Amino acid sequence: MSENNQEPSSHSVVDDSDFSIEKKLDFSGKSYSQGELVRRRFFRHRAAMISLAVLVFVTLLAFTSIGVGPIPGWWGKSYLNSSSVINAGRPTLSLWPFAIGENPFGQDNVGKDYFALVMRGTQRSLTVAFTVGILSTLIGTAVGAAAGYFRGWTEAILMRMTDLFIVIPLLVLAAVVAKAAGGTVWGMALVLGFLVWTGLARLVRGEVLSLREREFVTAAEAIGASSGRILMKHILPNTIGTIIVSATLTIATAILLESALSFLGYGIQAPDTSLGQLISTYQTSFLSRPWLFWWPGMFILVIALTVNFLGDGLRDAFDPRQSRGED
Amino acid sequence: MTTQADNSSKDVTSNSEPVLSFDNVDVQFGTEFGTVHAVKGVTLDVHPGEVVAVVGESGSGKSVTSMTALRLLPKNARINGGVMVSGHDVQSISDRAMRRVRGDDIAMIFQEPMTALNPVLTIGTQLTESMELHGVASGKAAVKRAVELLDMVGIPDPEKRVTQYPHELSGGQRQRVVIAMAISCDPKVIVADEPTTALDVTVQADILDLLRSLKDKLNTGILLITHNMGVVADMADRVAVMFKGQIVEQGTTEEVLMNPQHAYTKVLLGSVPRLGAGRGQMGISVTDDVNEGADLAIDLRNLVIEYQRLGKTPFRAVDDVSFKVKQGEIVGLVGESGSGKSTIGRCALGLIPAASGEFRLLGQDIAQMKKSELKSLRRRIGVIFQDPAASLNPRMPIGECISEPMVVHEVGDRKQREDKVYELLDAVQLPREVYNRYPHEVSGGQRQRISVARALTLDPELLVADEPTSALDVSVQAKVLKIFSELQAQYGFACLFVSHDLSVVDLLSHQVVVLQNGKIVEKGPREQVLHNPQEDYTKRLIAAAPVPDPLEQRRRRDERHDLLRSLGDEVVELKMGDHHN
Amino acid sequence: MLQFVLRRIAISALVLWAGSVLLYFLVVNSGDPLDELRQSQATNREQQMAALTERMNLDEPWYVRYGMWLGGASKCLILACDLGVDRGGSDVNTAIVAAMGSSLRLVTLATVIAIVLGVAMGVLSAIRQYTAFDYTVTFVAFVFFSLPVFWAAVLLKQYGAIEFNNWIADPSVSLVTTLLIAIFFGLFASAIAGGDTRRRGLTFGITAVILFAFITIFDAIDWWVQPALGPGLVLLLSAIAMSFFLMLTTGLRDKKVLITGGVTLAVGLVVYFVIQPVLEEPNWWLILALAASTIVVGGVLGYFIGGFEKRAAMTVGIGTALSFGFYTFFDKLLTNWGGYLDIAGRPISTIGSGTPNFGGNFYETIWDWSTQLLLPTIVLTIISLASYSRYTRGSMLETLQQDYMRTARSKGVSERVLNTRHALRNALIPITTIVAFDFANLIGGAVVTERVFGWTGMGALFQAGLDAVDPNPVMAFYLVTGTAAVVMNMLADIAYASLDPRIRR
Repeated sequence: MSENNQEPSSHSVVDDSDFSIEKKLDFSGKSYSQGELVRRRFFRHRAAMISLAVLVFVTLLAFTSIGVGPIPGWWGKSYLNSSSVINAGRPTLSLWPFAIGENPFGQDNVGKDYFALVMRGTQRSLTVAFTVGILSTLIGTAVGAAAGYFRGWTEAILMRMTDLFIVIPLLVLAAVVAKAAGGTVWGMALVLGFLVWTGLARLVRGEVLSLREREFVTAAEAIGASSGRILMKHILPNTIGTIIVSATLTIATAILLESALSFLGYGIQAPDTSLGQLISTYQTSFLSRPWLFWWPGMFILVIALTVNFLGDGLRDAFDPRQSRGED
Repeated sequence: MTTQADNSSKDVTSNSEPVLSFDNVDVQFGTEFGTVHAVKGVTLDVHPGEVVAVVGESGSGKSVTSMTALRLLPKNARINGGVMVSGHDVQSISDRAMRRVRGDDIAMIFQEPMTALNPVLTIGTQLTESMELHGVASGKAAVKRAVELLDMVGIPDPEKRVTQYPHELSGGQRQRVVIAMAISCDPKVIVADEPTTALDVTVQADILDLLRSLKDKLNTGILLITHNMGVVADMADRVAVMFKGQIVEQGTTEEVLMNPQHAYTKVLLGSVPRLGAGRGQMGISVTDDVNEGADLAIDLRNLVIEYQRLGKTPFRAVDDVSFKVKQGEIVGLVGESGSGKSTIGRCALGLIPAASGEFRLLGQDIAQMKKSELKSLRRRIGVIFQDPAASLNPRMPIGECISEPMVVHEVGDRKQREDKVYELLDAVQLPREVYNRYPHEVSGGQRQRISVARALTLDPELLVADEPTSALDVSVQAKVLKIFSELQAQYGFACLFVSHDLSVVDLLSHQVVVLQNGKIVEKGPREQVLHNPQEDYTKRLIAAAPVPDPLEQRRRRDERHDLLRSLGDEVVELKMGDHHN
Repeated sequence: MLQFVLRRIAISALVLWAGSVLLYFLVVNSGDPLDELRQSQATNREQQMAALTERMNLDEPWYVRYGMWLGGASKCLILACDLGVDRGGSDVNTAIVAAMGSSLRLVTLATVIAIVLGVAMGVLSAIRQYTAFDYTVTFVAFVFFSLPVFWAAVLLKQYGAIEFNNWIADPSVSLVTTLLIAIFFGLFASAIAGGDTRRRGLTFGITAVILFAFITIFDAIDWWVQPALGPGLVLLLSAIAMSFFLMLTTGLRDKKVLITGGVTLAVGLVVYFVIQPVLEEPNWWLILALAASTIVVGGVLGYFIGGFEKRAAMTVGIGTALSFGFYTFFDKLLTNWGGYLDIAGRPISTIGSGTPNFGGNFYETIWDWSTQLLLPTIVLTIISLASYSRYTRGSMLETLQQDYMRTARSKGVSERVLNTRHALRNALIPITTIVAFDFANLIGGAVVTERVFGWTGMGALFQAGLDAVDPNPVMAFYLVTGTAAVVMNMLADIAYASLDPRIRR
């Protein structure tokens, strides 16, 4: 490359004996499909991976410890039975030296094992949250896609629903409907599922609106593809990132909303329980038995936090523009 | 500062110190998937009053090189070598000192005028900002100078413009504002990164005239980054050709363009179609024997297309347009942005309804058609769009993309579809391994070949090609055009070829239709319209297209200026004298 | 613009009406209002049921009842609301007026604080992307996002209020605590300041030393129970505010703008002493008038001194003057803290939204309000702080990548001006759209929060009404909160239009 250093006005050329303009197609392992890229980025997101581990642990703990329905769990005590109160019901869990003891989370004032109660509450809260997540994602995706692609009345309905939630707070509407629908787990899940989809639908609609202007959609229209095919084959696969991320965040919203409703008394009713109901029931005993207050709150916080971090990791994986680079 | 510089480049280079010099500059980017070596040892000087062009295709490292001069590369860039801007060592000075150099000693003009200006600040604010920053003028004096600058770059009504926002100006006007901003502090050197790529060809010619008068009258050095050989021939004193991060050839414009030495430069120049050279360039051949009595593929009569606007009268995008396309014939539809050429293309695909007039496709009137009839008609029409990155579904494997028309129209079974895809991949000269790959795994040119293959899946009688090569590099464009012409000869389809590039249309089409603001200006056989135009607008359009031959281009430029004067238009130049000095 | 606003008002009115129909229908059908009576053993059960049916028009179908409610509510347009009676027969108008003030004050205050703090946090963490500060803000935002409101409220009540009240009874700060506070805020300041190690170290040192000194001095003079700023601190704080406004506009570049700020400070100091007797026993009108004249003085000073940089000088003048006025008022407020402590004893309230028959002076009344509002406001702010800061961060990062930022950089614009003048305004545009949703969210949060803090506010009205299947109080709640949301939405739209010239014309 010594030619480069010659007098600038003179005509200089570098050696071109091994020159080739053709870019060779090389498929030997170096390229990634979009799905692989997303997976790689997600697994590299440390907070999301820790959150995933914690969430899986909490879920397994809640469902295996006291069992589900007829299947018994490995934890001997039931959340329904009382026994005599030992040591004022203080928790026996100790981290150093590690010991679980008789009642790791303590006992409530009538001697129920609080670990079993919290596990039951966690089960119920998780059930509600994930059902709401699935239900609202289905509704939100359908309405959002229809509103964005066909415009017309679906869009009008979606936008007016959105306006409605500006004037009637979600919590207020949910409280009114939940009171009428009664306090079972499935009733709660249905009520929330049919109410919290608007945010997701708005996001999907926005995405579809921009996708339908893209040339590959126009190309599909031009070759005569039907609207259904365009939506299912061309548009929705490209909104999958948005859908997954907001589904995750909806789950976090649902768990907080369920607990707030239970706290106000419109949620899951006794004898069944949920984390919010536990806090509500025992908030007055904060000074005498603080653990009754701490445990369910911590579980709500941990579940919501891990789900939110998962959503963040997924967002970074699908849309790497704002995520951190390699360093 | 304002003395007229000698136009001869040799005098300039030997007499003065360079205002911008790159010494063995090397840039690497750390990315998610390892290091990218973008610039590999570039050495280049720009002297006062001189235009040095850096040409190359996408990914050659030309823009990255220029950004090192302003130290504007992102943080993941590792830069080695030396960059000097009028005596300042850009690599080593402090941030504060660098900010004093930016705007004052070196200024920049960007490619995309639509996004280069801040949408929430007035033109005046953005113009006065750098003057106040560098102590050139402040307060009312700065506003006065801003008005002068807008006047200098040829923006009418400058007093009103300073209070307006960028969205109230057209693209060409915005680019003038960017130029006004760049010259506001009398910089010694201006880096112009593809300054005319986003503009129409007539606007491009005006902006190039403006830049030329800038270096003549203010003695500014210009580093011109471009991919367009015509722009190089029109503007540059010297050229550096970049390929894969290296300067492979460097010299005066005459030397490099007239007598290229490096194989890449030869390929590059050999790939540029020349307006007026007509058929037979670059090994591309199109038969000129179209059967005069052939059936009509497209028959347009008094077509009007309108866009509805909320609360306003509808916008008439296409106004009373009539023309015909025979079977086996290629008709070029040319015009600048807003001429309605793409709208006609989309109407031909049945995507936009006509407001009035008749649009007969393959003998059938599409306005009268039912949905199912339209679908069966679409089977006989293929389409290629402009942007290869956007026209293929990123989540669909390439094989599925190509076979989709067969799936939609329920043609063939699985095996037959697969065979057809392999046949088409061979036809567009792509390896069969791409069948299961995704579009982002292949290059832009290869993607456009996939689009061509998809368009031909059902052996269409008519192909609508909407700017099929304008997003491609020239060497890639040449290859795609060659494949296209071969396939046309093989399959014999009729083609509506929508393009803004007159030289490509000259190369391929039989008939040419020139559009302006939705109306036909001129139409007829290619030789007649492009080589002997009758209408002023066509003449202007043809005169404004630069050719990659500096001597020829100088002649064409003078002809264009004569033409403009004869039509009573002004030749754009920096207006001096009244207020400057 | 006017047409735009009018159309928005019309749409909002329509939505408000549709919401009322839906809510009325749902509340009426959420249970049986006679349920309790049906199960009662009272001898006059039938009579009571008949009376309730009569009072609540239960033999009419729901839409007729809705029509009656709407008839009364629509009189609000002529400022003569009639919101009916609740099931006990008491007037809902009276109840809503009593409940409205404190609830709206709470929600509005929380919204404003959350926007200001959240936007500031978001902008700073975007500018300092991938620093410890950014990671901390991100983590805190996620924790806030995931906090159950009522749980946080109970915790805050315990640790914020009760502990503080215990402490203020005999206030003193131990050396260790002082050191910890100094180090914490020092780290915080240095994280915000950014830059190289030297700059951050310097910021840390200066902040920590100043804080340490102040806390030690305050402790020595028993400032905690007899606080005051005095002219010295007022001047110092105003000077800091002045440098902030300078930073936002011209920096130290323009002498005339600098002089404007200085003169404003000098005038302020004179006025500080002159005005003391007037501020002894003021009222809100007087304060408002004083604030207005402060703006005029600052503006006039900027106008006449500013020269070429009139607009920047006026901004600095008005900003500095207002800050000076605020600190003067705050100084006066602080001096009354002792008096308030004498009346209140345990100052931070954990129950109720206001002390009934509170007899203190003007400032002591403000203290009473503030201490009642303090904890619920913190809780509500926490709810929406997270979304504002995350949203602002994202929007700011997006803006920082735009082409026009590169253009501005190529002109030699400094990072400070780049962030304030070029990026911030563009980044704020999308944020206006979440204000409306967030406000609705906050009203929901207020219902929960008020319950934890035992307020008899709007939330209690709503809950009592819903529990008793009594639509009138619920609808009164809706009328107020819905209208507030519509107004908030409108303000956000206007902010949007004023930020973005593209939709203005």
